Amino acid sequence: MRSTVLLTSLLTFALCLLPSDGSSAQWHGYPTPGIPRLADGSVNLAAPAPKTHDGKPDLSGIWLSGRAVFDLRQALEPGDSVPFTPDGKKIFDERRADNSKDDPSARCLPTGLPVRALLRTPMKIVQVPNLTVILYESRTTFRQILTDGRPLPKVIDWPAWQGFSIGRWDGDTFVVETAGFNGLAWLDQAGYPATTALKLTERFRRRDFGHIDLEMIIDDPKMYTRPWSIFAELVYQPDTELLEFICEENNRDLPHMVGK
Amino acid sequence: MTRLLLPLLLGAFVLLAGGRLIAHHSFAAEFDASKPVTLKGTITKVEWTNPHTWFYIDVEEGGKVVNWAVEGGAPNVLYREGWRPTSLKAGDKVTITGSRAKDGSRTANATLVQMPDGKCLFAGTSGPGGTATDNCTVGRR
Repeated sequence: MRSTVLLTSLLTFALCLLPSDGSSAQWHGYPTPGIPRLADGSVNLAAPAPKTHDGKPDLSGIWLSGRAVFDLRQALEPGDSVPFTPDGKKIFDERRADNSKDDPSARCLPTGLPVRALLRTPMKIVQVPNLTVILYESRTTFRQILTDGRPLPKVIDWPAWQGFSIGRWDGDTFVVETAGFNGLAWLDQAGYPATTALKLTERFRRRDFGHIDLEMIIDDPKMYTRPWSIFAELVYQPDTELLEFICEENNRDLPHMVGK
Repeated sequence: MTRLLLPLLLGAFVLLAGGRLIAHHSFAAEFDASKPVTLKGTITKVEWTNPHTWFYIDVEEGGKVVNWAVEGGAPNVLYREGWRPTSLKAGDKVTITGSRAKDGSRTANATLVQMPDGKCLFAGTSGPGGTATDNCTVGRR
């Protein structure tokens, strides 16, 4: 009798450890702890933006552009246009003429930073003292934004696909400056070009819990006659996680990419 | 009903075709949005892979069974749309609507997949927030 009770108790205990509906095994769909929620359980996007210990807005979280943009022209302010130099216009027109078939991105090489913030795959910002990291789901890539007070390197002895990034606060806006690009990535899929002269400035402002207003300023005097800005609204993504994206796994498109 | 549905479906294609580009590569470099295709047949293989999912489907063409390769959206995007790696399996009888490849091969880009139970899944990554509506056309969230 005693052994039956013991066995039943053990079984009950064991059953309690098992997930009842598989939900505890979820990755995408697991409720994000510690975020403001409405009575119906959904995230309260209008709640105040959280702050870090030093009183600055905390940008940490998973973010997705409110709308996907593959042509940066769609993210200009109304009435603005892309201020090409003749060289910039020539390269852009060539890329449009063959429908961007030579985009390095189609070969699983890095996308440009402007378009990477505007894709249909989210990114995770991790803000810690002296460092902010952006983990992009797209291509399982990351960027380090150093906030330890160092300046941008004066001499770029090894230009990089993603350049080198430093960040500072301008009031409640996190300002990221990036230089040292190798000039190989296209700014977007339409084919806006950039060179090693590119300087990118990103201004992140978390206006409430659920939204970051992002301005990206593209300054490349070889391709554009003046700095120009694109704008995006990033929306907080609750109850999800970044998923793996190994671009090289099964890239079957190239033989079919005839262009015209 | 069919007479109504077809223009609706074509309308959806045209709407999507304007500046339609997909996540990993330029849509227009590979596919022709003005050449829609409907493939009704049996799934032979599913590749739940990056940068795109690929579905292979046997369809009848002129009395012969031929195999088409159909590109779907990135698995990450499809997963968040509700797809799972097992949503579509070899042997499933489905209808896929999409666009033909420009190179003339039996290759297409999928927009919608009508599943064996009649429900439709949005299969592309074209445009933001595309989603399948109840009547198997592409809507907007």
